Amino acid sequence: MKYEIPIGPIHPALKEPILLQLTVEGEEIKDVDVIASQNHRGIEWIGMNRNNPVQSIYIAERICGICNISHPAAVILAVEEAMNMDVPDRAQYIRVIQCELERIHSHLLWAGVAAHEIGFDSLLHYTWKVREKVMDILELVNGNRVTKAIMMYGGVRRDIKKEHIPKIKKMLEYYKEGFDKLAKFFLEDKTIEMRTRNVGILTKEDALKLGAIGPTARASGVKKDVRQDQPYFAYPDFDVKAITPDMFTGEVVGDTYDRIVVRLLEVKQSVEIIERALDEMPSGDILAEPKLVKLLMDLKKAEGEGVGRHEAPRGEVIHYVKLKKDFEPFFSWKVRAPTYSNIMSWIPMLKGCQIADVPIVAASIDPCISCTNRVIRINNDGKREIIGGDELHRLSVKKTKRLLEGGS
Amino acid sequence: MGVKRMKELLEKLKEKKIKFEIREREEGVKKKGKRKTVLVYTPRENLRDIVKMLIETSEDFPHFSVCSFADYGDYVELNYHFSTGYGKPLQETNVILRVTLKKDDLRVPTLTDLVPATIFSEREIKEMTGIEIENIPDGRHMFLTKDFPDGVYPWRRDETAPKETRKMYEVWK
Repeated sequence: MKYEIPIGPIHPALKEPILLQLTVEGEEIKDVDVIASQNHRGIEWIGMNRNNPVQSIYIAERICGICNISHPAAVILAVEEAMNMDVPDRAQYIRVIQCELERIHSHLLWAGVAAHEIGFDSLLHYTWKVREKVMDILELVNGNRVTKAIMMYGGVRRDIKKEHIPKIKKMLEYYKEGFDKLAKFFLEDKTIEMRTRNVGILTKEDALKLGAIGPTARASGVKKDVRQDQPYFAYPDFDVKAITPDMFTGEVVGDTYDRIVVRLLEVKQSVEIIERALDEMPSGDILAEPKLVKLLMDLKKAEGEGVGRHEAPRGEVIHYVKLKKDFEPFFSWKVRAPTYSNIMSWIPMLKGCQIADVPIVAASIDPCISCTNRVIRINNDGKREIIGGDELHRLSVKKTKRLLEGGS
Repeated sequence: MGVKRMKELLEKLKEKKIKFEIREREEGVKKKGKRKTVLVYTPRENLRDIVKMLIETSEDFPHFSVCSFADYGDYVELNYHFSTGYGKPLQETNVILRVTLKKDDLRVPTLTDLVPATIFSEREIKEMTGIEIENIPDGRHMFLTKDFPDGVYPWRRDETAPKETRKMYEVWK
């Protein structure tokens, strides 16, 4: 007997609106349909009709709170290509540092959520305690923990000051020392292994065909990382290598466990990049055009198009921008956030799993629904019966307990 | 795609007399690297063939990112953003397939059977721009809600663009 179970629009793994329509037979998931049209904010429309290009940086920042550096990074890359703008060297290094700080905090945030989804709340609290260190540095350097307003066409808006550097270095030491402990908790723990090994497998072929990106693709053995393949900012200086799970475990399975491995190793990689960037950072200006009015005039006169691709914590974010002479807003703006591409991977991942695995498998791509949906509208379709987040979470915790007692 | 395979693709395009343009932008501070883009002016009837060529000349599989769109009044531009040659440092090339369509004949063939990842973008293009995707396997709305009015296309710049748009604080009044 087949049943249809809708999970969402409010929940699956993160508290954001998306609907997963599952077809189940008993506990086993047979088919999955993803319905994204729950909440669209029309950010591209605002950028194409209402805002001037500088305002659009700040609205891009608000596409997603977690990726608040990634979206501006992609949009400025696109516009700088369209205008053929040069950027001071120091600004390129500061951008790299900011991007890597974001990666550390985002991956640790995810690791905590993943632990929570399988009912391991003590690990959630430990991981988020560890994450606070990088948040403190973000606040120190930018004056704000989230939405830092640091990116600008032709540079960055705030410098990293001399007095910040020892504090950042102290933070890097903290993560270096704490890494082994964190890796032990996540990768050697029996409970985590039981819940994530061979769960939600994405094969390399599926990953390629469905266009998976970021840690989701790398965990399936696709060595794809924009920082390596097509470096931008100051990334060519760092020879970044895409991280795949076989570097740690010796094999690629492509399951949820592998996605944890990739993300943890990337935290380590980010720490190393920041360390080098701080030592090698050149001095000089941080903005190509400090006069905002002049910059706006130049933007208005510019004609051209550009594609900005940035490796965000969740995968490649790509912005396409077209500028037209004497037309103030972007003539065309397309935002593609990583979750847009990774959601399709849910379908092969979830097939054959149990309902109780939905939270951890859904969370394993680190979905960011606000990136995917960009408009505000309320769906009043109240007829469906909904398994809420709490109920799903309860099921998931129950499964962990059951496995610990020797069940299946 | 290594540089060699990229050449293979460009040769094939030349053979078919399809126009393309190569763009490069230098990146990096101490060590320089080039960001390469190939812009292919794709006639609609050759779109599927060019995608097949792209698949043949790719080492793994071409990565499909997204579709973008620009409305010029009489005609529209539809861009398919691909990238190939990833996996090795500095070897990746962006490939943009640009299809220009006249306003009175807005349709393109589906690519979902060749590149499964295009389904979300095709659904999005369909609802946002009104371009008909021929043989699309799943024509439902992607981001707009089910009750979104027909004949209104948010990305267009003509009479089909949304008219009554209000700011959030105006809605609350």
